[in-house]
Amino acid sequence: MSEVVLPRERIRPSGWWGMALFVATEATLFGTIFGTYFYLRLNTVYWPPPGIAAPRPLWPLVLVAALVSTSPVLWAARRAALRGRVGRARAGLLLALAVQTGYLAFHLLLFAQDLDRFRPEDSAYGSIYFTMLGAHDAHVAAGILLELWLLLRLLRGLTRYRLVAFQVTSLYWNFVNVLALLVVVVQLAGAR
Amino acid sequence: MDQIWAHRPGLLGWLTTTDHKRIGLMYLFATLAFFAAGGVEALLIRTQLAVPNGHTVSPGTYDQLLTMHGVTMIFLFVIPLTTGAFGNYLVPLMIGARDMAFPRLNALSFWLFLASGIFIYTGLALGTAPNAGWFDYVPLALKQYDPGPNIDFFALGLILNGASSTAAAVNFIATIFKLRAPGMSMNRMPLFCFAVLAVAFALLFALPPLTIDCVFLELQRQLGFHFFDVAHGGDPLLWQYLFWIFGHPEVYIIVLPAFGIATSIIPTFAKRRMVAFPLVAMAELLVAFIGFGVFAHHMFSTGLATVTLIFFAAASMFVVIPSTIQIYAWLLTVTSGRPEFKAPLMFIGGFIVFFVLGGLSGIMFAAIPFDQALTDTYFVVAHFHFVIFGAAVFPLLGGLYYWFPKVTGRMYHEGWAKASFWLTFAGTSLTFFPMHIAGLLGMTRRVYTYEPGLGWDTYNLLETIGAFVLAAGLLVIAANLLVSRLNGATAGADPFFGGTLEWTVPSPPPAYNFAVIPTVTSPYPNWDRPEAERGGLVLEEGHETPASTVRDARLEEILDMPSESPWPIVLALLVAVAFVMLLASHGVVAGLFFGLAALTLGAWHLQEPES
Repeated sequence: MSEVVLPRERIRPSGWWGMALFVATEATLFGTIFGTYFYLRLNTVYWPPPGIAAPRPLWPLVLVAALVSTSPVLWAARRAALRGRVGRARAGLLLALAVQTGYLAFHLLLFAQDLDRFRPEDSAYGSIYFTMLGAHDAHVAAGILLELWLLLRLLRGLTRYRLVAFQVTSLYWNFVNVLALLVVVVQLAGAR
Repeated sequence: MDQIWAHRPGLLGWLTTTDHKRIGLMYLFATLAFFAAGGVEALLIRTQLAVPNGHTVSPGTYDQLLTMHGVTMIFLFVIPLTTGAFGNYLVPLMIGARDMAFPRLNALSFWLFLASGIFIYTGLALGTAPNAGWFDYVPLALKQYDPGPNIDFFALGLILNGASSTAAAVNFIATIFKLRAPGMSMNRMPLFCFAVLAVAFALLFALPPLTIDCVFLELQRQLGFHFFDVAHGGDPLLWQYLFWIFGHPEVYIIVLPAFGIATSIIPTFAKRRMVAFPLVAMAELLVAFIGFGVFAHHMFSTGLATVTLIFFAAASMFVVIPSTIQIYAWLLTVTSGRPEFKAPLMFIGGFIVFFVLGGLSGIMFAAIPFDQALTDTYFVVAHFHFVIFGAAVFPLLGGLYYWFPKVTGRMYHEGWAKASFWLTFAGTSLTFFPMHIAGLLGMTRRVYTYEPGLGWDTYNLLETIGAFVLAAGLLVIAANLLVSRLNGATAGADPFFGGTLEWTVPSPPPAYNFAVIPTVTSPYPNWDRPEAERGGLVLEEGHETPASTVRDARLEEILDMPSESPWPIVLALLVAVAFVMLLASHGVVAGLFFGLAALTLGAWHLQEPES
């Protein structure tokens, strides 16, 4: 059998493996947080404790829908980049970035409003509630930084390396979007 | 080729290196330094316990020594030594690659690890080292009962340490999946690499619960959150759950690389292939997998439901199966070969003896009533030291001798090596075996001292004598290797006629490892074909290594590898400062340093391989 270098349709770059494994460990991290939420809930009679209203579904659901909508935008932008249409790729990235930044700002606003209603120092419910939201916001912020960096690099044109960066960034964002959905579901369903 | 892969000279070259061999060596020296510290702590503990009513150290210091001994040996010695030093140095050489998949991330792993070690030891230097045991149970570890910064050193230090190990795990998996030499399909991969792969996956999924646990603890201690106190709806058992979900896979993370080293040394000295090669590979992966399903056997005495206990007891017994497969495979390989009992193989012999002993006492604990009777006695201490010292560290000592000629190009002294084996073997047995009896006689673990007349005196004295014999054995090993490094006979590329690829390159290996990338046709490529036929790619144009497909290892692409970089050490430094600020409760300053770290990451990725 001769070893010939054949052009392969889908070579997974090392960077993809790196991000996929990172996502796996991050997923475990959030799994632990979700598990803790239900563990604490099952140990308590009142959840949320008396005096704290259960989270209302409207804004979190609207926000998460907006955030998830950036996944197809990023997918289209990456497709454009793969075809060498760097202008479209930049525009797509910019759009996604705008939605995500808006999401983060709005989310932090809700976070601050919640802090006025109850505090993490009050109860285990408050502790895990704010820890989960905070961890989620930190991941959104990290994703925004990744994308900002990518956008700045794309201003200087496309390279193979930047395409890998694009692939990796979209993978991370798909993960963050799934997490956003799970965070909302856990917090709404958990507090029934 | 030499020019392309040349190192920057001097200290700066080491600080900015991305060469997996240099990083492996730095890991080795750092972990050995921590091993020495952990050993001194152990000797102080044993001196304190040598006679009843001893007062060598104060009770407060004793708590710190006990905790630091556990933390050091597990997080700063065994894991970074097996993955960081052995894994880093050997995996690329064994799979025919020129470096790890992410060379700069590899450097970052090392600097973060070093920072975490220095961070935790700063606590000891200030007299406020962690002091609630290596498992750090709440409520003892909460602010009310432990108001100093002791536990904060523990929790923040372990988060930092976990980040380092996670980065290393990602790197190992990507390296093993992507960078195997053409022809090295999964079923031809050395068993040591299977062990590292299993460990890397276990680390990836076991560390997050520990990290989250430590984050919860810090939030509760520093900001007044409530995760672990019943009064506000928390639960102290939550700490134990999350800790042991990490803590039991951790045991296999510690012991699996030792299995891998055993399966490297045995075939070489038995002069035959490993018996049941695929079964052993599967068993290594299976041990890591089942390791996740047994954690609650650390909690048999916490009042969990009986159904839960039975599940975990059954799973704990199940681990015996893959472990036994490996034991039989090792024994059969030795007995069906023509074994030559040189020092490395003798250490493996000691390892098998200790592993069987520690395994048998471990299986007893899977029986719930036995566990409930003997938990927290010295019987447990005896059990896990046979496993962790006897079974995990003995192969490491054997491995130090085995690969010493490869790393240094010189032979160790065989006579002294054998003497060091007998000393450490006798020392280990004498230290840990009497602990079984003391435990059965009711001696509880972690006690500061004890009254005379309980029947424990003789055993404790024997254990202390054993500890010093063991220390003498370890010093002989260190002296042997140091002297041999300077005066040893020249070893040549392949002094033992080993089967795997690292023996095909000169000793010490050149910076690029393989002048010609080998083509692999069997698990023991060095044994089946003369050197001339092994060749394949040359790749002398640049800083490059080939990448191949995950399963079959068909050549896929040629990767341009990054060379030395200042960013990893800068990033590790910034993150370490941020953690110090977190320890001092300066959240804003810490945030500033994390921001600088993010900027550093941006700068890190400005350099592209094509440019």
